[in-house]
Amino acid sequence: MSTTTMTHDEAHHHEAPKGWRRWLFSTNHKDIGTLYLLFALTMLFLGGASAMLIRLELFQPGIQLLDPDLYNNLVTNHALIMIFGAVMPAAAGLANWMIPMMIGAPDMALPRMNNLSFWVLPAAATMLILSFVVPFFPGGGTQINTGWTLYPPLSVQVGMSMDFLIFAIHLLGISSVLASINIIVTLLNMRAPGMTLLKMPMFCWTWLVTAFLLILVVPVLAGGVTMLLFDRHFGTSFFDAAGGGDPVLFQHLFWFFGHPEVYILLLPSIGVLSHVIPAFSRKPLFGYNSMVGAMLAVATIGMVVWAHHQYTVGMSLGAVTYFMIGTILISIPVGLMIFNFIATMWRGSMTFETPMLFAVGIVLMFTFGGLSGVMLAVVPADMQYHDSMFVVAHFHYVLMPGAVFGLFAGVFYWLPKWTGHMYDEKLGKIFFWINVISFNITFFPQHFLGLAGMPRRIVDYNVMFTEFNVISSVGAMIFGLSHLLFLYIVIKTIRGGKKAESRAWEGAKGLEWELDSPPAFHTWTVAPQIK
Amino acid sequence: MKIPAYQTPELRRKNVRLAWVLAGLALFFLVTSFPFWTGLFRIVGTQAMQ
Repeated sequence: MSTTTMTHDEAHHHEAPKGWRRWLFSTNHKDIGTLYLLFALTMLFLGGASAMLIRLELFQPGIQLLDPDLYNNLVTNHALIMIFGAVMPAAAGLANWMIPMMIGAPDMALPRMNNLSFWVLPAAATMLILSFVVPFFPGGGTQINTGWTLYPPLSVQVGMSMDFLIFAIHLLGISSVLASINIIVTLLNMRAPGMTLLKMPMFCWTWLVTAFLLILVVPVLAGGVTMLLFDRHFGTSFFDAAGGGDPVLFQHLFWFFGHPEVYILLLPSIGVLSHVIPAFSRKPLFGYNSMVGAMLAVATIGMVVWAHHQYTVGMSLGAVTYFMIGTILISIPVGLMIFNFIATMWRGSMTFETPMLFAVGIVLMFTFGGLSGVMLAVVPADMQYHDSMFVVAHFHYVLMPGAVFGLFAGVFYWLPKWTGHMYDEKLGKIFFWINVISFNITFFPQHFLGLAGMPRRIVDYNVMFTEFNVISSVGAMIFGLSHLLFLYIVIKTIRGGKKAESRAWEGAKGLEWELDSPPAFHTWTVAPQIK
Repeated sequence: MKIPAYQTPELRRKNVRLAWVLAGLALFFLVTSFPFWTGLFRIVGTQAMQ
């Protein structure tokens, strides 16, 4: 392969291309970051709409709007859209925007692959949406009523919509792995001179660990769903006991991916918090090295405790004991991270702008979600809670504050840098309070529903569960609609507002704040020297 | 093919090489997710017993 080097002017001093070509052919990390964020926002509303339909159905006992299969299809799609369509692309958007600016690199290491990583996503989303839509057409087969876990034998029996879903998962996986490779190469090879690994901003560290996790676990999911496809169409029996296979094998493969996926969703937000909390506490992050160590410990232990999702499947006592102890051990490094955040705030000169409000909210609510996680990690307790609404409450307390609120904190923190305008602080705070209060109204009662015995993934419920379900549904409607305010704030900030300075926040530290707000199309054409 | 000035040919080679290593790692995890190794263990075990 012959290569020529572009001149300095060609490479760095031209303006942004105009029109659709700018976005379709973009190799610029900021433009691709913007594309990721817009895509994630779109999917957030799609996934949110499906969640609101679910809660509308559960507003009253009995079947109101959705038949049982459609209800479970919505449950499946809600999870997959939110995880693969909203949270992961949003985190990748932040990574694309911020990593090169934070490490003093002009762009990502593999810019064309960066373009490909993004543009696979709309194709994947189309397949995902088709998997939902296909059963409505004549000959479209049955709905995907398996939930996002896609356990066989049910997933082998579902109609052709499952094939669309399997293809969507493959495409989403390809996008994730390519993006992860790019991020790792950028972080390891493109740092500014003098920036050793232990001088790297914490957001970059969290993404380094996240990207490695993605490379290790996403291919396993791809393998699992490929075997599912083979069982469905090519006469194999990987998961069919009658043919010598084992349906539990799929559960192991799925959760080998599924449990680290929690940390994949969580860690980028921990990275955001590691910048937001010091900035608004006006103190350096407490325990940088221990944060890095804790993250590595979380990732390592998180890779080997997957079967705590399968306690009820009938594993040996030795196996469940191992998975229980391993799972509980994770609370030590996670607790260390939370301790470091609190220690950073301790005696800091704190102010509570919107990103900081989200950060404090995360520390409180994510800790609560973690505690209910410890409850679920205990085998005899889990036997009672398994597949109940308690589990739904638990993972929403982990993933909404732990992942989504972290992304909101990041967007509010860096929006002035991206757009060159300060967002409307008053509206930001109103959004925070509506969002957080309605989130708790939605999900807190679900703990009680689960403890009282209400199962999840069932369209109907006993009348004794009505009151808490009504409260939860009302909260969910407010929660869902509150995101329209977020959209309004973002659009308003893009269109104008108070001019943001280079260092938009008084306490903000890092290379990205030395660049203009908004930064030039090409930045760090000359690498900064790190002392 | 043009490469941007911020990537010298050496840096680009280094980047591409690392990308291939990581892709290989992903491929290894993909391949080993297929349970052929259970059969391999069985064969190795049977051989060892003989």
